[in-house]
Amino acid sequence: MAFNYDKYLRLEKMPTLWCWGCGDGVILKAFVRAIDKMGISRDDVCVVSGIGCSGRFSSYVDFNTVHTTHGRTVAFATGIKLVNPDKYVVCVAGDGDALAIGGNHTIHGARRNIDITLIIINNFIYGLTNSQTSPTTPQGMWTVSQKSGNIDPTFDACALGIASGASFVARESMLDPKKLEKIFVKALEHRGFSYLDILSNCHVNFGRKNKMASAMENLKWIESITMPKKKWDELPEEEKMNIFPTGVLKEDKNAKEYCDLYQEVIAYHQGKRKAITQNDFEKKI
Amino acid sequence: MGTAMIPYPGNVPVWVNKSNCKACDICVSVCPSGVLGMRYDSTSTLGAMISIDHPEACIGCNECELTCPDFAIYVADKSQFKFAKLTDEAKERQAKIVANNYMSLDQQGVK
Repeated sequence: MAFNYDKYLRLEKMPTLWCWGCGDGVILKAFVRAIDKMGISRDDVCVVSGIGCSGRFSSYVDFNTVHTTHGRTVAFATGIKLVNPDKYVVCVAGDGDALAIGGNHTIHGARRNIDITLIIINNFIYGLTNSQTSPTTPQGMWTVSQKSGNIDPTFDACALGIASGASFVARESMLDPKKLEKIFVKALEHRGFSYLDILSNCHVNFGRKNKMASAMENLKWIESITMPKKKWDELPEEEKMNIFPTGVLKEDKNAKEYCDLYQEVIAYHQGKRKAITQNDFEKKI
Repeated sequence: MGTAMIPYPGNVPVWVNKSNCKACDICVSVCPSGVLGMRYDSTSTLGAMISIDHPEACIGCNECELTCPDFAIYVADKSQFKFAKLTDEAKERQAKIVANNYMSLDQQGVK
């Protein structure tokens, strides 16, 4: 028998409302397979999603789900994680959700290194509202809000994750679902903020206006701008700026997790320890 | 609504839940051995529907199932079906199907 996804899906909501060939479905599938591979109970997972095409993610999976306001996935998830430190909390956000309106929450979630898995489904455009420029839209691409061509510099989502202190940062594209499944397992197992930038396609609202109107043309373009990290390291500098490295870009297993630190605050209020001072931390500034 | 998985119909390598398929071509493009192809279908939204033309050539790589965004295509386990080996003929057929806009070889034109 082939893998049965039905156990993890809300079948009354299927088929999905995403366009034909949308990468969100592939990511959803890989995520479900990763959960199954790890053997986690459905009750131990909470999926938090925001607004956008990626926001529908939480409607289709039969876990504990929260469909939150625009950009506030990490904020809600922080609260959920602090009261349920033993559960797996997963945020699903689009590029607009996580990097534009919710950029602030993303930065500070990563800085606290709270044990949340943030899946950024990066399709390079605001797809749901019909192709306005998003923070990750490449320069020179046509969007409805910049009809002369996009002049805004392109955002490297993983560079933001690394700089703001997430302890696990990885990039993968939806072209290779097997790798995607492995990276989800790694991210869920990692204790700390897991920041995943998953490149996806939007041939309907991004591709159609940029000469890649079918799913396959859009995917070929994604393939042309990505390269495994090992190969990417060997590239000359001038070629590096036009290619995104994929794979695990940062993994720090020693970084302190926020829920563990929060236990110290609880212990202080219970009278079990003295106030927290600078001596408790190695890094003073 | 509700489109649950179709149980294994027996003696096939690949089977499709046609009420979930949106005809996006992805499964046809990732198949290494030319098993799949699109066929004109006036009842489908995009005017085409997936068809399994050469089940005997399936090598059981599972790529089509993994890359299907809509939970529409399933591949049998290795214990259920004896899969074929990848042949040059199958590779050639796949190249022709891709050149034919992912349509089955007896279907002409674009979708």
